[in-house]
Amino acid sequence: MTGFEQIVGINPWTALFTFCNMIITFLLLKKFLFKPVKKMIDSRQKEIDDMYADAEASKAEAAKLQADYEERLGDARAERDRILSDAVSRAQKRESEIIAEARQGAAAIMTKAEADIAQEKKKALNEVKNEISSISISIASEVVGREINEADHSRLVSEFIGKLGEADD
Amino acid sequence: MNGPKIYLQINGMNIITQTTVSSFVVMVLLCVAGYFLGRDLKKRPGRMQVITEKGVTMIYNLVEETMGKHNSYWTPYIATLFLSSICGSLIGMTGILKSTTSDISTTLTWALMTSFLVWGCTIKYSGFKSFLKGYINPMNIISDIAQPVSMAFRHFGNIMGGGVLMSLLYSALAAGSAALLGLIKSYGVLEIAAVGVIGIVVLVFGFGKDKLWMKIVGGAVIALAVSAALEYFGVFAKVPILQVGLPGILSLYFDVFSGGVQALVFSLLTMVYVGMACPPREEQTK
Repeated sequence: MTGFEQIVGINPWTALFTFCNMIITFLLLKKFLFKPVKKMIDSRQKEIDDMYADAEASKAEAAKLQADYEERLGDARAERDRILSDAVSRAQKRESEIIAEARQGAAAIMTKAEADIAQEKKKALNEVKNEISSISISIASEVVGREINEADHSRLVSEFIGKLGEADD
Repeated sequence: MNGPKIYLQINGMNIITQTTVSSFVVMVLLCVAGYFLGRDLKKRPGRMQVITEKGVTMIYNLVEETMGKHNSYWTPYIATLFLSSICGSLIGMTGILKSTTSDISTTLTWALMTSFLVWGCTIKYSGFKSFLKGYINPMNIISDIAQPVSMAFRHFGNIMGGGVLMSLLYSALAAGSAALLGLIKSYGVLEIAAVGVIGIVVLVFGFGKDKLWMKIVGGAVIALAVSAALEYFGVFAKVPILQVGLPGILSLYFDVFSGGVQALVFSLLTMVYVGMACPPREEQTK
């Protein structure tokens, strides 16, 4: 130690050393502290921002998907309703058709049955006619006691029955 | 009151002084601290990293608020200036080293660095013509000279003044305690013992009622009695007993607060001057 400097005095050497120390401190702090820390903070910030952006995107996509699904669901419902109402109307048509056919069939059967009945009746009547004629011939032959000409007899009976039929009607 | 000690003198030039050593120590401290704090950074930070990041972010925010977002890249320099200043001021509290900032050479160097940065930025962003045009009004030359000088002397004066006041206070308290001890000594052993007993009573009361000020006063009075006894029996003469306590509180203002404020003022002024010389991009084209 060789004494003291003046209390207010400029020492160029001190100034030079101070300048160099400042530059060295500045460069080292910048390299080892500020750059890495700033980089770390920025990268973390970026990561957070990215995550938020991703979340937003996923949310938007989900909303879109949901809307899509709802639309499709609505379509499906409409389709279902259409198909149902189609089926119902077709069924109703078919029902009326079937009923109409059945009626028609029934009516045909009825007419046929009536025709059959009428024929049967006619047949029965003819048989009855024949029977009656033969019975009446036998009765008459027994009553009269003589042989009537078969042909004459038949004619007589027919006339008789014809009168009967007219009287019946 | 002396200036910094001279450690190495060659041909009448004071090459290495106390300030140089302090400045070197500050540099080493800052660089080592910076290296260890900036090492091993992780995405999920530990405690130290959180504090480091908070500090770095605070300085970045301060610079961006004062100089604008486009001047964010100035942060490392401003932070270096701020940290060098505050550590340079606080290192004087070690008692071994002298505050670098209580040497006008240091603060003037920093102020001139600011001025050169301002001039450099003016030429870079506004052109050499515009830089010269500024001196059409000769008052600007004076302001350009006054600016670094005022910055340097403001910082230097505050730290220096604090140091001067503290050393005045220390010598005043030493003289005061010598006078007080002399007074007690002139009364004799009984009085010294009485002072000691009073001190013990106050201290015991203080512990009994749990009152901090009574404990402090009791302790101080006991210490006074002990040093008076030492003086009386000739073990240690003139113990500067009053220097305990009070300077610590004042040092909190003159060294810690003043050092912090001056460091902030210096870096804020640098930010403002350099920030004015570096306008945002859209204004640079004008």
